[in-house]
Amino acid sequence: MLAAAVGAAALYPIAGCGLFGDEEDKSQPPAPDPLAPLLAEALSLASQHEAAIAAFPALAERLTPVAAAHREHATALTKVIKAPAPSASASSASPAPPSGDEKSTLGALRSAEQKGQKSAAQACQAAAAERAALLGSIAAARATHLEVVR
Amino acid sequence: MKPEALSAALEAEHAAIYAYGPIGVRLDNASAADARQAEAAHRTRRDALVLRLTEMGTSPPAAAASYTLPYKVTDRAAALKLATEIEERTAAVWRAALPETTETDRASALAALCDCAVRATRWRRRAGVSPATVPFPGRVT
Repeated sequence: MLAAAVGAAALYPIAGCGLFGDEEDKSQPPAPDPLAPLLAEALSLASQHEAAIAAFPALAERLTPVAAAHREHATALTKVIKAPAPSASASSASPAPPSGDEKSTLGALRSAEQKGQKSAAQACQAAAAERAALLGSIAAARATHLEVVR
Repeated sequence: MKPEALSAALEAEHAAIYAYGPIGVRLDNASAADARQAEAAHRTRRDALVLRLTEMGTSPPAAAASYTLPYKVTDRAAALKLATEIEERTAAVWRAALPETTETDRASALAALCDCAVRATRWRRRAGVSPATVPFPGRVT
């Protein structure tokens, strides 16, 4: 385990140190995709619903399909962004247990969905043609979540 | 900006308006009120499309005298099923218009897609369909 960690750590400086001048540009991280914030939001929405389900199992029937939809949105966005799949640690790091009771948890989820609907609609409006349909469906899905998250 | 996508949306709106007639008569009072609201929303979209297509110099397709329903609407269950399908179909046509449009036309198409998706969810809830939501409204699978 330690050897593997040391080995991995030792590899990075070699890959990143730009021994060959013409490779230096390639080691620069690419400019973030304009949809990166929407991907982060989809993962955050999924985590918030999952945390609510864990805290209030009675909400599972209502919220499980909503959480699953956000995960599917994240997968689809990852595909069009061509980003590496979000790691398990990145997506499971955030879910703090909801702080209030069931009612206030649902209220917080509704606010998050409303905000998410707006950002997806804005992204759809600004997107190139080939991304517009996916983003439209994500905006519409978030609008429908407000019908069941109550 | 291609008028074909908006013409397709107009034809779907014509069909939706027609279908809400036989749907409405088979519904309970609360659902029938929703059906009237839905029909009014589709009429508003239709009118806006007729104006927009005319403005673009395209002749807006007229409604057919009647449409063949996919099955007989003989009871509440069939009415709720057809209402859901009508909204899903209209959502799909509006979704298809998104890549073909920009600016205000895209904003209208997106608002229409969201409205259809929300109504489909409401009809599924009334029908007791679970889950009442789909991950990608308007996407034809």
